Amino acid sequence: MSIQHWWRRVALGLLFFVAAAGSDLAGAAGSPALKIIAVNYPLAYFAERLAGARARVVLPVPAGADPAFWRPDARTVGTMQKADLILLNGAGYEKWLSQVSLPRLKLANTSLGFQDTYLRIENAVVHSHGPGGLHSHEGLAFTTWLDFEQAGKQAQAVADAIVRKHPEWKSIVLENLETLRGELAELDAELKQTVAADPRRPFLASHPIYQYLARRYGLNLKSVHWEPEEMPPAAEWQGLQSMLKDHPARRMIWEAQPAPEIAAKLKDMEIESVVFAPCANRPEDGDFLEVMKRNVDALKAAFRQEKRANSVISKNPNP
Amino acid sequence: MQHDFYLAWRYLRHNKARSLILIVCLGVIIALPLALHRVLDEAERRMSARAEATPLLVGARGSAADLVLNALYFTESPAFIGMGEVDRIAATGWADPLPVYARFRVRGLPLVGVTMDYFEFRDLALAEGDLPALLGDCVLGAEAGRRLRLAPGDTLPTTPENVFDLAGVHPLKLNVTGILAKTHTPDDQAVFVDLQTAWVIEGLGHGHETNPRAGRADSPFAPASGDGVAYTEITPDNLASFHFHGDPAGFPISAVIAVPRDARASALLRGRYLDDDARTQIVRPSEVTRSLLQNIFRIGALFDAILLPLGIAALLMTVLVFALSLRLRQREIETIHLIGCSPMTVIRLVAAEIVLIACSAGALGWVLLQAVGVGAAEFVRHFVIA
Repeated sequence: MSIQHWWRRVALGLLFFVAAAGSDLAGAAGSPALKIIAVNYPLAYFAERLAGARARVVLPVPAGADPAFWRPDARTVGTMQKADLILLNGAGYEKWLSQVSLPRLKLANTSLGFQDTYLRIENAVVHSHGPGGLHSHEGLAFTTWLDFEQAGKQAQAVADAIVRKHPEWKSIVLENLETLRGELAELDAELKQTVAADPRRPFLASHPIYQYLARRYGLNLKSVHWEPEEMPPAAEWQGLQSMLKDHPARRMIWEAQPAPEIAAKLKDMEIESVVFAPCANRPEDGDFLEVMKRNVDALKAAFRQEKRANSVISKNPNP
Repeated sequence: MQHDFYLAWRYLRHNKARSLILIVCLGVIIALPLALHRVLDEAERRMSARAEATPLLVGARGSAADLVLNALYFTESPAFIGMGEVDRIAATGWADPLPVYARFRVRGLPLVGVTMDYFEFRDLALAEGDLPALLGDCVLGAEAGRRLRLAPGDTLPTTPENVFDLAGVHPLKLNVTGILAKTHTPDDQAVFVDLQTAWVIEGLGHGHETNPRAGRADSPFAPASGDGVAYTEITPDNLASFHFHGDPAGFPISAVIAVPRDARASALLRGRYLDDDARTQIVRPSEVTRSLLQNIFRIGALFDAILLPLGIAALLMTVLVFALSLRLRQREIETIHLIGCSPMTVIRLVAAEIVLIACSAGALGWVLLQAVGVGAAEFVRHFVIA
């Protein structure tokens, strides 16, 4: 073999080695380095915003199901065990946690930082709706993210968990966190300002999930236990009538648009329906912040209409 | 010289039985102390490796050796600590805590409650099936699977500690979800369950029957009293009803494996356990194991001390055998003289015989030593570590 021929073979070998190494690197860059499982959509959204394409965020809850009453099967638990990070909401949200085997070191309870301010639900009623069967909202109130300040803290906890796994991402994750917390703070300020204009205005909630929203923004809120798609029985309507005597609300906040017959019956009682979606599962259109903006806008509109109606009444006290 | 060795070889072949006994005796005398040291070295290597792979251990104050043996080899634990210790270690941010609860035994094998992190920490891979996913699932070590003759999908009832203690440990029908690959460590012998399953066995958690035919709409699952032993069984239908009573921080564990982030974090964490009045202690398994091994070496030195006079006695016996043999061969030696051989020739012939016997005994000793070397690992696994 001539020296020239030998050199050519060495060069070809080196070229092959460099190409193979390059393709490996490209593969690594193409696949996300961190697999995150989030138990509800707000946490999945925070993780997606904070880690971007670096992480593959999975929300294992089927579309349309309420993550608060969903429970994983053995196969889903197996998938969760293989994740790098499992984001929990805390505040008793994951009632199945004591019945499954998950790696503790991968769990991140995002509301642990404010656990001393959790709200307890008193006198919870057992009821059923959807495929989840019978359930009750007893224990702790869990829709923590409807207080946008708490949502910011949960986003911070998500960021901390991601940075713990990948310290080299710290600067980019913190940068994304700052933007996200800024957007949440805007919503927080907007809602505070809206409610502060008329803090004693009575409101009704169709489901007992707005405890943190009411506490943070000072909403004068009382709750019934209705579902948007199920016509409440007569006893519930009678209960509402008696509730209105002490709490003369003219707006009922719903998780989703109520059925037309329910909305019409409420309208007959001079109660308008306002949608404030908790967005616990992935929305059909838009993202978490867009849904929350729509919620805030709906509540702002409700307060504006209340103010207008009040001014009409004050101008014509005896129509 | 060549002829001397030829004649010696022919002589030894002629007296096969005597030569063979001499060679075997000498071979064993040569191999025994070296083989013993090889077994001790293997035991030290294996025990040190597991200890060194476990950076820090937190457990109840008392014997450090008992704590290490319980957490690493799943021996019985003399005392337990609360799960709150795990949260306290996690809260420091200095170390990752891995709780271990090795209290129960099932059909003679240790039933170990761990969190799923343990499998990753010990690098335990599955040979078949899956890791436990739901309450009531278990995964078997390779040796445990072989001994129990179970496969994924089978069930394994836990052993009641005391059938007369109705308020005591509740037997539970475990679902075998997987078998771990062999690791040649005590993990091979264990039946692993999630910590929460271990607490159900302990009686800290239970489910509620919703079958109206049970008489009570809400009767808790518990072993029925009577002649036979009833088992609690966790099924997809009753899984959701299982819950725990009491503060989880007080639930028992036998030890916490703490994996510090770095040397500084390790030092800081150890500093937290300096209080003499505390109910917990922190130990470095490598140090405790070293101290245990020093005791083993003391035993090794004792063996050496016993083997030395034994060896000398055996050599003297061999010299005696040779001397007697020469006396028996007096007529044969005289015949050699008579056919014209010098006394030096006789000495050369006897020396050649001794050299041949010594070489054969050395070769046999070497073979025995190699055999011990091959089998030492298995011997240590069965008789020292298991």
